[in-house]
Amino acid sequence: MTQQLAVPHLDISSERFRMNSREMRRARADHWYARTDWGIAVLTYEDCKLLLKNPHLTQGSAKWPAHHGVVDGLYDRWWRKTLLVLEGDEHNRIRRLVNPAFSPRRIEPLRPRFRALADSLVDEWVDDGRTEFAGRFAAPYSTRVLCMMLGIDEHDWEEVYQLSSTIGLGIGITIKENIARIDDAVAELTRYAESLVAARRRSPRDDILSALVGARDEDDGRLSDQELINLIILLVFAGIDTTRNQLVLTVASFSEQPDQWEKLAADPDRYAAKAAEEALRVNPIARWVSREAGETFRYRERTIEKGTTIHLLTLSSGTDPAEYDDPDRIDLDADRSPHLAFGGGMHHCLGHFVARADIDVAVSALSTRLTDLRVGEDAEWLPDSGNTGANTLPITFTRRP
Amino acid sequence: MRILVDRVRCQNHGQCAISAPTNFELDADGELRYRESFDDEDASDIEDAVDSCPVQAITLDSDG
Ligand code: SF4
Repeated sequence: MTQQLAVPHLDISSERFRMNSREMRRARADHWYARTDWGIAVLTYEDCKLLLKNPHLTQGSAKWPAHHGVVDGLYDRWWRKTLLVLEGDEHNRIRRLVNPAFSPRRIEPLRPRFRALADSLVDEWVDDGRTEFAGRFAAPYSTRVLCMMLGIDEHDWEEVYQLSSTIGLGIGITIKENIARIDDAVAELTRYAESLVAARRRSPRDDILSALVGARDEDDGRLSDQELINLIILLVFAGIDTTRNQLVLTVASFSEQPDQWEKLAADPDRYAAKAAEEALRVNPIARWVSREAGETFRYRERTIEKGTTIHLLTLSSGTDPAEYDDPDRIDLDADRSPHLAFGGGMHHCLGHFVARADIDVAVSALSTRLTDLRVGEDAEWLPDSGNTGANTLPITFTRRP
Repeated sequence: MRILVDRVRCQNHGQCAISAPTNFELDADGELRYRESFDDEDASDIEDAVDSCPVQAITLDSDG
């Protein structure tokens, strides 16, 4: 008989909650899930993996603005139609049209351009021995990569970055007080997206945007104009801050494991892809992936009631000792099970090949130029939440000869 | 041409079933089932499935 321990409670809604805490580890050792103020949190690798693909669960974020009293306006109307929250046939139809645009076949040829960008950003500060990594590498790099893919003039990157951050406030708990600004940003980005679409329609190029316009025009109008614009806004919103923060977290993790950073630097062609995977496993930007029970169902010993919110904790599943040897250590030579940082199933992150490629290229460039990497005490970390990272990340380093 | 899925890699994400529902589906347990042969008219859907698999587990094999 298995011993029945009381189900633990984790305070994930607290600013002070750390997913890397002793409390979380103790909870995971005792139980597959914990109670929280917002539904349940699933802790183990095995259970997160199974539940991610469980057909009884829906994505569950559609009602987020409504929960905060935002029931109409541009942002709300856009959000309810984003691929992120759509379900069923409507979701599958759009996903089917857009998936191929984000395939390795489309992304691999962009690598040399990513690399040239990374090198030029490093050149700006490599002689100083220090920099503010979030602002002087991660933000311009992630934004300009997105501009490249969509065919936006890279000179506009700061404006695009601002718009994306403003729309990002929509998933924060301060949505209501910021909603006027957020709606304005959606309006501005809508105009911008419309002009981009018109330009691609006049003269297609070999970029993702042209592929998406093609998916609208060739497939008997299956992607409507509105869907196309909604999708472009989603890409700008979801593609920039996530990559920016994941780069910050990746560098922070490697600064604590200099032996692995040196291993990477010695052979980036061999190790860079693995470095990106290991950083995503031990320090993922999305600390949890949320789902909602679409119906009442049994899972293990528990009945999960319809409407229950279920958070699948990524850092917790990625460092579960039941799945990984020496789980907290980045080990570039270890053979690891796939992490769940990009979610999974029908809602598996659309942009994961892009994110993987640009992190891989960035760590190749950085590791071959910088050593003795250290993160300053005055880094400004964000709380653990659906999305985490740092507002500023001062680093010091030695330039490699 | 024959469809081959690397079962060790496959994580049952079901993106292939979104792209090419005639050949791929997830069963009641969420496990992938697929048919190896396909008709010419489905070829472009199958290629989209190959492209879309998050773990790139699907290949097309010319003998068969
Ligand atoms: S998309 Fe790939 S991982 Fe998902 S079920 Fe199909 S073959 Fe398996």
